[in-house]
Amino acid sequence: MDNKLNAFITIIEKPASGIPIAIKDNICTKNIKTTAASNVLKDFIPTYSATIIERLEAAGYSVIGKTNLDAFAHGSSTENSDFGVTHNPHDFDCLPGGSSGGSAAAVGAGLVDFALGTETAGSIRQPAAWCGVVGLKPTYGYVSRFGVIAMASSMDCPGPITKTATDAAKILEIISGHDPLDATSLNVPPYKFCKLKIENLKIGVPSSYLKIVTPEILEKFNQVLEVYKKLGHEIVEIEMMDPSISIAVYTILQRAEVSSNLSRYDGIRYGGPRTVFNQENERRILTGTYVLAAGSYDQYYLKAQKVRTLIINDFDEQFKNVDIIMAPTTPTTALPIGSSTDDPMFGENADQLVEPSSLAGVPGISIPCGFIGKLPVGFQIIGPHLSENLIINTAILYEDNANNRI
Amino acid sequence: MKTTPIIGFEVHVELKTKSKMFCSCDATHFQIEKNTHTCPVCLGFPGTLPVPNQTAIDYCIKLGQALNCEINHISFFERKHYFYPDLPKGYQITQLQKPFAINGFLEIDGQKVRVNRAHMEEDAGKLMHENGQSHIDFNRAGVPLIEIVSEPDLTSSEIAKKYLNKIQQIVRYLGISDADIDKGSMRCEPTVNLKVESASGGKTFYTPLVEIKNIAALNGCIDALEFEINRQIKQWEETHEIKSGTNKTTRGWDADKKETYLLRAKGGNADYRYFPEPDIPPFEFTDEKINEIKQQIPELPDAKIKKYQELGISLLDAESLADDQKFALCFEKAISLDPKNAKAITNLFLGTLKIDLDLDKINPQYFKDLIESLNKNEISSTVAKQIILESYQENKNPLDIAKSKNLLQNSNTDELEEIAKKVIAENQKAVDDYKKNPNSVGFLIGQLMKASAGSANPTLAKEILEKLLK
Repeated sequence: MDNKLNAFITIIEKPASGIPIAIKDNICTKNIKTTAASNVLKDFIPTYSATIIERLEAAGYSVIGKTNLDAFAHGSSTENSDFGVTHNPHDFDCLPGGSSGGSAAAVGAGLVDFALGTETAGSIRQPAAWCGVVGLKPTYGYVSRFGVIAMASSMDCPGPITKTATDAAKILEIISGHDPLDATSLNVPPYKFCKLKIENLKIGVPSSYLKIVTPEILEKFNQVLEVYKKLGHEIVEIEMMDPSISIAVYTILQRAEVSSNLSRYDGIRYGGPRTVFNQENERRILTGTYVLAAGSYDQYYLKAQKVRTLIINDFDEQFKNVDIIMAPTTPTTALPIGSSTDDPMFGENADQLVEPSSLAGVPGISIPCGFIGKLPVGFQIIGPHLSENLIINTAILYEDNANNRI
Repeated sequence: MKTTPIIGFEVHVELKTKSKMFCSCDATHFQIEKNTHTCPVCLGFPGTLPVPNQTAIDYCIKLGQALNCEINHISFFERKHYFYPDLPKGYQITQLQKPFAINGFLEIDGQKVRVNRAHMEEDAGKLMHENGQSHIDFNRAGVPLIEIVSEPDLTSSEIAKKYLNKIQQIVRYLGISDADIDKGSMRCEPTVNLKVESASGGKTFYTPLVEIKNIAALNGCIDALEFEINRQIKQWEETHEIKSGTNKTTRGWDADKKETYLLRAKGGNADYRYFPEPDIPPFEFTDEKINEIKQQIPELPDAKIKKYQELGISLLDAESLADDQKFALCFEKAISLDPKNAKAITNLFLGTLKIDLDLDKINPQYFKDLIESLNKNEISSTVAKQIILESYQENKNPLDIAKSKNLLQNSNTDELEEIAKKVIAENQKAVDDYKKNPNSVGFLIGQLMKASAGSANPTLAKEILEKLLK
């Protein structure tokens, strides 16, 4: 099956006997090659495991393989992988999304029930939506980044990709909680799932988000809202900052951090030389280097940080009036293979409905809500900081009551 | 033409914390087997993250306050980017916009030297080139450093030396670093140029800035400054080139040839693309925390020197006593029962006791007894210096030592007169000399001392000789 899908970069020949889990290949696994899907690290075998891997193994999970991604997580298609594109399990001619495309495709194809992805802005939720699975991006700092090959440090969040919201909760229980090896890790205990009786939710739907989705997706999303309405919850239209503003902010901040985080790959101690970075990596390094340069720092980096604060405030303000925010996860369903290759802003457009909440560091979960043709559609539930239990319970409510479950 | 040097310093002090700045590796690296104190974090492996060393940060805040700095209530780390084989991450974690400590000063000979900042950063690895090969030792990578940046307020190499001495003293008093320039735990990089005032008055010029690197000794630093000042005077006379935004150069110090040489001419400033370190959240320090650290600062050399001067000790002696903290504490213990005799005890400390002393072995009672006998002329100051060392080493009362060795001073007038008469009879030439020049009595006193086996009270001996020779 995987020969056609190309979801895995490395498959463990004889995995340990625990519960199988697939791991995105930018998460370090001791003695297992970890490439970040880049030729720069094609032979890199870490001497240590990420904190989240150690926690999963201690809880009885076994790594069965390392999944494909856009090299260094640069992209939303897996087309930027140096190990070939991953195919969408629902239509092999389509992209799985990304950057956690390999993990989402593996779960979507039924190769594995549990996978880990990482999201900087969309990289869990967007491929989850395109592959018809559940993707949970936790609150920034809730899940340790130690051992996760950095993309944009101030936004990177590891999280589960699973078949159901309940499964996502199970994984979050294991991987969340304070890690002394990550200074940005929140000083809170691990997540504990707790069944909530959800009543009288006030659900905010940002009208600016709905303007940029296809009519078919809008229709699917309205059906989701109907499910919640029928259960007695209140839907209110809210005005949020135009998500396209987040694209500009995200592009600047993420590239700046990328240019810095990739500085260590100088080919002296390990790995290939800088000449083997692929084109998308190079683009991001160059843009990031430019925005941090003495002459442009104030104009770009500093200004983007200020607007990021406005985006954070925007979410804080909304959550004073509504319990959660709901929106489609992606503007379109999965696009054909080849769509991203000549479009440097492909990812930013595909991810624009998830970028604002990533910049704000708040949690979000994408849940499958039907198909358009062969291709799955997803919607997302966004909540305030550390409201994982609320958004997971709200997702379960949908799974239990919708009649179009996958 | 009048030229005045303008000197500023970047001083790096390596902290002696147990672990490195951002990982738990052992921070020692001097003469350690290469690449044994390393881990994935300080080697900058993919996925690793820095976790700041709280002790190192407390040390920086302590040093900042000892340098009279303000402590920023909000501080953060930043990344400084450049590629170099000894820099594992391709950037150094340091501080630019919000260092832990800013706006301090030191007083050198009554002159204020402003301290711009004391900030925290990590050291790089060490490159070694031998037999056409290059090796990198990462034991030093990630060792905590404090960089102390002065304003260009120093106007001579002598004052510069005092500034460096003072920083070294303070750092050692705080116990945060060995500050050993020879071993690289304190590194000094001066920047120097000249202020040139034309003889006719009116016009002032500044020569181009020169930063000096590779200085491995305190004296080397002073030699380098002196060489550089003279070189710049000559260069000014030849070229009349003045300082600009683009003509700052970096020169190395060749300790063997005792000269500086051009390392690189910077065309403007390098762009390090600083930005706040996203892996480490900002720090917030309350007044309470800042004061708590301030309370841990021991009495510093300046305060000790002032205190000693108030006890009648000269400035020069007070400085010598306060130079090393342990020595100063031994001195203070020694005078504790007898502070009014601090000056006499100072002579012992700066004489035979100027060794590595053990505070526990200092017995103030011995010092009190010794000075009392000295004041009563029971022993001579020569004997006092001699026996105090033995007293310290053997933990015996010095008077018992004096008694057992028969070193108590003879103040018996009759006995001394007998000896004096004998000395006069045996030294007719000296007596004749004395008659011509009374200042030559010293020789006769010396003979008398010798004849009494050193036990004669010299003051009394002089009186008796003068009386007999009248």
